[in-house]
Amino acid sequence: MLASYLPDTDLEVLLDPDASAWRAGASETLPLTGTPLGMQPTAAIRASWIDRRIGAVDEVRVAALHNGQGLAFRLEWEDASENNDLDDNTSFPDAAAIALPANEDSPIIVMGKPGAAVNAWHWRADAPSQAREISAEGLGTTAPVPGSGIRAHGVWKDGRWRVVIGRELESAGGPMAAQLRPGTQTGFGVAIWEGSNQERAGIKAFSGDWQILSIEATGGAGGGRK
Amino acid sequence: MTATERQLAMVMDLNKCIGCQTCTIACKRLWTQDEGMESMWWNTVNTQPGRGTPRDWEELGGGFRDGAANPGRIPTRKEFGQAGDYNHQEVLFEGKGNGAHLQVKGDRPDWGPNWDEDQGDGEFPNSYYFYLPRICNHCTHPACLEACPRKAIEKSSANGIVTVNEDRCRGYRFCMEACPYKKIYFNEARRVAQKCIFCFPRIEQGIANACARQCPGRVRFVGYRDDQDAPIYKLVDKWKVALPLHPEYGTQPNVFYVPPIGPMRFDENWDLDPTKPRIPNEYLESLFGPEVHGALAVLRAEMEKTRSGGESELIDLLIAYKWSEMFGGFDRDPATFGQK
Repeated sequence: MLASYLPDTDLEVLLDPDASAWRAGASETLPLTGTPLGMQPTAAIRASWIDRRIGAVDEVRVAALHNGQGLAFRLEWEDASENNDLDDNTSFPDAAAIALPANEDSPIIVMGKPGAAVNAWHWRADAPSQAREISAEGLGTTAPVPGSGIRAHGVWKDGRWRVVIGRELESAGGPMAAQLRPGTQTGFGVAIWEGSNQERAGIKAFSGDWQILSIEATGGAGGGRK
Repeated sequence: MTATERQLAMVMDLNKCIGCQTCTIACKRLWTQDEGMESMWWNTVNTQPGRGTPRDWEELGGGFRDGAANPGRIPTRKEFGQAGDYNHQEVLFEGKGNGAHLQVKGDRPDWGPNWDEDQGDGEFPNSYYFYLPRICNHCTHPACLEACPRKAIEKSSANGIVTVNEDRCRGYRFCMEACPYKKIYFNEARRVAQKCIFCFPRIEQGIANACARQCPGRVRFVGYRDDQDAPIYKLVDKWKVALPLHPEYGTQPNVFYVPPIGPMRFDENWDLDPTKPRIPNEYLESLFGPEVHGALAVLRAEMEKTRSGGESELIDLLIAYKWSEMFGGFDRDPATFGQK
C-alpha cells in the first residue's frame, strides 16, 4: 500500500475521515482473522474463549497519507453496533490499532520481542478523539510511548466506523517507536476490536503478517512507490 | 511471580458477627469514596443462606477446577447493586414535612449489598441465619493474577497481599471473570479494576486493617500465617477451626472462617434438641468444605470443656479477652498513622 505524499496538507485536516484528500487517495481492503486461541496469553482467557468467535470484524478498508512530517491512516469498517461507553461492567468499547515495526526484526504475531518492539497506534471508541501510542516487546507488555504526539478522530455513522490515526513520521519515542521516513518501506498491520463481542486485549481481529507500506518520497511523485 | 516469603491472613469468627456493617463502613470511608467508586464495597457482610453480593455470585464461575482455569462471568452493576440517588434535598430542605419521605430517585434498585438481610432459611421455630463478612481473599493461587494478560495484578512477596497495579491495568476485566469470589470491581471513571488492598498502607505501619480494628464484635484476627505465637496460626493450623470459604474454587484463600455453631434446635415438644444442629451441617459443608465437621466438633468439645469448669486455649482465643492481641502485632493506634 502506498502512503501518498500530500505537501501543504495539515495533519489536522487529515484527522477528519471525510476530508477530500481521503476521497482522492487510493485505499485497499485487508481481510482480518481472529487471533488464534492458543496465542492468548493466559489459561483463563483461553478457557473462556474456547467456544466463542474471536474477531467479529471480517475486513477493514485502509488508506494512508503523509505530508512530509506526519503520517495518517484511515480505517473504515462495518459495525452495526456503536459500542462507545463503559455503561456496565460487561460493556467494552470498539477499538482499532495500527501496528508498525520499531525495528526490522520486530515480529508482529507476538507483538514484538526484547530489543525489537512493535509500535501500536491505538484508538478506542470511549474516547473517540484521542489515541494512545504504545509499544510492546512481547504479548502483554504494552507500555505507553513517552512524548508521543499521536492524534485520532473516529466517527460512527450508518453502521460504519471511520477512524483516522496519525502522528509525526519521526517520533520522540526513541527506539521503542517506529521511526518513519519518506521514500522508504515499512511493514504495518491493523487490528479491530468489536466491543459488542466483548473483544479486548489479545481478543481481536487482525491482518496477519506484516503488510507493506511504501511512504512516498517527497522529492518527486511516486518516488517511494514499489 | 516470585515466591511469597510470608503471607498475611485474616480469621473471621462467624459466631460473633452481628451484621452491624461497621467493617463495611470503615472500609468505605477509608478507601472507596472517590468518583467511580460509588457502588464499590470492598468489604461486604451478607446474611446466609442468601444469594449474596453480587447476586448469585457462587453461580458465576471462575477459579480453578481440577487445577485448570474455570471460565467465569463478569457480574453486572445491577448484580452488584448500584448506589441509590436519594431525595435528601426534598426531604430535608424543602419544607414538605411529612409530605415527603426518603426514597431513591428514578428506578428502584432490585438488588444491593445484603439485599436478603435476615431472610435466612429453615422452618419456625428452627429458622436460622448467620452473617458472612467477605473481603478479597488475597489468595495463595490468585485466579485474578493468573488471568490478567498485562501482569497488572501483583502479589507481594513480602506479605502476600494481592493488589491491582493501576498503571498497568487497562480495564480488560479478565480478573473479574476469573475471581470466583467476585470481589473485584470496575471503576468506569478511571477505567481500571479495583479491590480490597488488605489496608496495606496501615499494615506497613503496624496498624491492623480498618475492618478488623473497627469491628465491635471482635470477629476478626489479623497476622502472618506462620506466626506460631499469634492467633491466626493457632486457629488455622493448630486447632484447625478456621477454614477457607469454598476451598473447591482452588485459589487457596488467606481469609479463614470459624464456622457458626448456631443456636440450639427445638424438637416438636419445644424442648431443646441437642441431637441435631439448627444450621444444617450439609449447608456449612457447602460453604467451607468437608473439614467443617471436624472444626465444629473441636469447637463443641472445647465449649463443653469450659462449660464444665475446664480451661481452653481455643475458647480463650475466640473470646478475645485482650482485643489488641487479635492483630498479630499489628496493634498500633490508627490515630498515629504517618507519625514516626
